[in-house]
Amino acid sequence: GAGLQPRFPCPCRIMPVRWSRYNPSYLEPEVKTEAYQKPLEELTEEEKEQMELKAVRPIKAAPPTLSSSVFSDPMISKFTNMMMKSGNKVLARSLMSQTLEAIKRKQLEKYHKAPENEKETIECNPYVIFHQALKNCQPIIGLSSITRGGKTYQVPVPLTDNRKRFLAMKWMITECRENKHRRTMMPEKLSQELLLAFNNEGPIIKKKHVLHKMAESNRAYAHFRWW
Amino acid sequence: TLRLICTTTAVQRKNAGASGPEKYTEAFIKKQIEEFNLGKRHLANMMGEDPETFTQEDIDRAIAYLFPSGLFDKQARPLMKHPTEVFPEQRKIQWGEDGRPFHFLFYTGKQSYYSLMHETYEKLLNVQKHQDELIAQDLPLQKEKRNLAGSRWLTKIELEEMLVEKMSDDDYSRFIRLLEKLVALPCADLEEKYIQKFSKEVPAQLQKVLIEPLQYDERGVAFSTGEGRRKTASATAVVYDNGTGKITVNGIDILHYFPVLQDREQLLFPFQFLGRIGKHDMVCTVSGGGRSAQAGAIRLASAKALRSFVTEKEVEFMRQAGLLTVDPRVKERKKPGQEGPRRKFTWKKR
Repeated sequence: GAGLQPRFPCPCRIMPVRWSRYNPSYLEPEVKTEAYQKPLEELTEEEKEQMELKAVRPIKAAPPTLSSSVFSDPMISKFTNMMMKSGNKVLARSLMSQTLEAIKRKQLEKYHKAPENEKETIECNPYVIFHQALKNCQPIIGLSSITRGGKTYQVPVPLTDNRKRFLAMKWMITECRENKHRRTMMPEKLSQELLLAFNNEGPIIKKKHVLHKMAESNRAYAHFRWW
Repeated sequence: TLRLICTTTAVQRKNAGASGPEKYTEAFIKKQIEEFNLGKRHLANMMGEDPETFTQEDIDRAIAYLFPSGLFDKQARPLMKHPTEVFPEQRKIQWGEDGRPFHFLFYTGKQSYYSLMHETYEKLLNVQKHQDELIAQDLPLQKEKRNLAGSRWLTKIELEEMLVEKMSDDDYSRFIRLLEKLVALPCADLEEKYIQKFSKEVPAQLQKVLIEPLQYDERGVAFSTGEGRRKTASATAVVYDNGTGKITVNGIDILHYFPVLQDREQLLFPFQFLGRIGKHDMVCTVSGGGRSAQAGAIRLASAKALRSFVTEKEVEFMRQAGLLTVDPRVKERKKPGQEGPRRKFTWKKR
């Protein structure tokens, strides 16, 4: 069998510390049904190559959080996992759905109170609000501590997409957990923060701007980066 | 002196590129080969077979018969193989009588690796020069696509064996990147022979799984069974045609058996993917594992059962969606000296 031998997920490009039970030749599964209903002519060169590769290589099993239904969203699952404590996925999932419900309620209230000409500008879809809010919270550059000659400098560094998403979600959750009144429920706090972030206001956007300013002020040390 | 016919694992371990004084001289290896051939003929005589047509498989069978061993480790059992497989390949002395090394890159420490990189880069420059000539003459650049899917690069171990020299992972990845760069150029066909030395054919034929035909029960309704496992849970599912979309697990409706939405989503995933939600009925039995593992096991079982109802193309789509692969992830074992599979004991200064 596979045994406990570490198998690196990529063919020795980067040296990962983690290992996976799958052989490195296994590819990620594609769950959405739309991808399989495209007729052959519409595919680009790259997609055709991808298809050929997929036909030959084995594919990993789809994880339990991923499904082809319209309700499963990878970003929402990631956020739910980050909110989860001690493996209590049921609680995290219910908090998430209560948050989305709270957002919808608040937006509907605003919608019904607004005059006719403004009704179209109010966004009621909680998924759209969630995605846009997280997108607004994502920083563009980050800081990394580099030690040179005994002194540690904060060097501005470009961030990967994954890192940006992770930071946005992390800030959101820590902000709601720590800086709010103890008696308010998490869905309430989260929905409030998400709506503020959707409108580019609120403490998380401020934190992002502070990070950008720090990076701008430390521009002089940018040449310390070697990667 | 003992006649070395069978040897143990200590000698077998491949130590490609063991620099230092030669462990086995050439004369020694030649003598070993002669003794091996002689021993082979004696063995053939003993077994009553023809010495001329005595293959390696016959030798293995004969040794297993004459020296039966109950040891668990296959590599600890008695073995008789050709000396080139037993004694690792090693380098001859790299310098002459005057102490001067033969290879010009000897003092880099990794002469074979650097000479290989040097050669590959030379080929790359060649291809680029050819490309520039073609552009200068305004000729179209040929773009023949290599079959990526059917070939793979040599692994690090295979490369080490080829060069008889150890290399680090960084070196290996650097070499592979250079090869990929060479292959990505449009006129790489010039050096096709050189590239083929470092690529291996991958058997493109994935095991063709037999899809079972539909069975029919007393009422004339078509049904099909499937089995699935996930992390200690094992499930069997029977999917009936002309149904209303009712799903029963161990005699209980799924709404009562799986109160969590995520598990029910997983059960419906194969049906939703194929667009057959209201068309099939399912009866499953599951045991072992936890709630999520049982859901995953039933998902695999139902996907396998649905293969009989569906065209081959859709089976391929299901495979690419990850519905037909067995999830190999299991709980990692706890190691001695640690508190859990990864967590170490609290570090105490004294």
